[in-house]
Amino acid sequence: MLGVHEFSIAEALAAQVQRHAPVTGRVREVEICVGALRGLETDALRMCWDAVTHDTPIAGSILQVDQRPWSIACRVCGRTWTSVVPFVTCECGNPSPVPTAGDELNLVALTIDEEET
Amino acid sequence: MPAGGRMTRVPLVERVLEANDEIAADNRAELERRGIFSVDLIGAPGSGKTALLEATLRALQGRRRPAVLVGDLATRRDGDRLARWCDQVVQISTGQGCHLEANQVRDALGQIDLDAVDLLFIENVGNLICPVGFDLGQATKVGLFSLTEGDDKAAKHPYLVEAADLLLLNKIDLLPYLSFDRSSFEADVRLLNPRVPIMDVSATTGEGLDAWIAWLDR
Repeated sequence: MLGVHEFSIAEALAAQVQRHAPVTGRVREVEICVGALRGLETDALRMCWDAVTHDTPIAGSILQVDQRPWSIACRVCGRTWTSVVPFVTCECGNPSPVPTAGDELNLVALTIDEEET
Repeated sequence: MPAGGRMTRVPLVERVLEANDEIAADNRAELERRGIFSVDLIGAPGSGKTALLEATLRALQGRRRPAVLVGDLATRRDGDRLARWCDQVVQISTGQGCHLEANQVRDALGQIDLDAVDLLFIENVGNLICPVGFDLGQATKVGLFSLTEGDDKAAKHPYLVEAADLLLLNKIDLLPYLSFDRSSFEADVRLLNPRVPIMDVSATTGEGLDAWIAWLDR
């Protein structure tokens, strides 16, 4: 796992979720949203999540990742669209439309099972 | 939402790295209060971060009062190299950590006589990805690329390009010997960040260092 940059993010998130976790009930789902600039892979985040939450009160919780894509704007034809990768060619043939993205990395919601402790 | 039990969805809006960011804000306030200009230097392993700082410290001798925090997974070699040119060098061994975090910088600042400093370099762990997302409290982020890494490095690391206040392109003396396409490199940078200055430098020959030193002095 060393060198996977999702690992330190998962660690910080696990600590944060445990601060919010209720005394009774069990955290079943954790929702985050991630801007494309962060370059975080959903699968890698989930793998790290399972590893860092193992043997903690939030073990078994599911990480839901809302990936915010790149916004692409073509200055030649004016078309705008979203893409998971920043460097793309426009339908009009322009090889270098402008990519922009956010760097948000937010905890959005927790789903708590109140009947389970 | 998972089935079964009595599920409650609790909305939150909180930055995942909030704990780090709060310490970074404290670091930033402390450095600003003391009038210390600070640089978080981010570059790949082998891009020449330590060589650049050696040349920079040499050029600043007698004019500025620098300190250096240097992060590495292991060894004190970088710190030892820099200590030849600077009295105040703190080596931060990150162990398994692939980047510096704000609390490590806070602790390292405690080992420096900040009254004797007006310029702080933070040489981050060699890595173009993880260090970008962790605020340390620095005034500026400087991204260091080098010709031997290839001209597509900027395109492959958009977060650093977008977040940098300055990009240095090191080993520019090797341009005649490599297939590095300087204009392609710059075109990729410009798509991601239209404003960031790009300076061609060579830590080895000293080419371009005047502009970098002037940027630090401004």
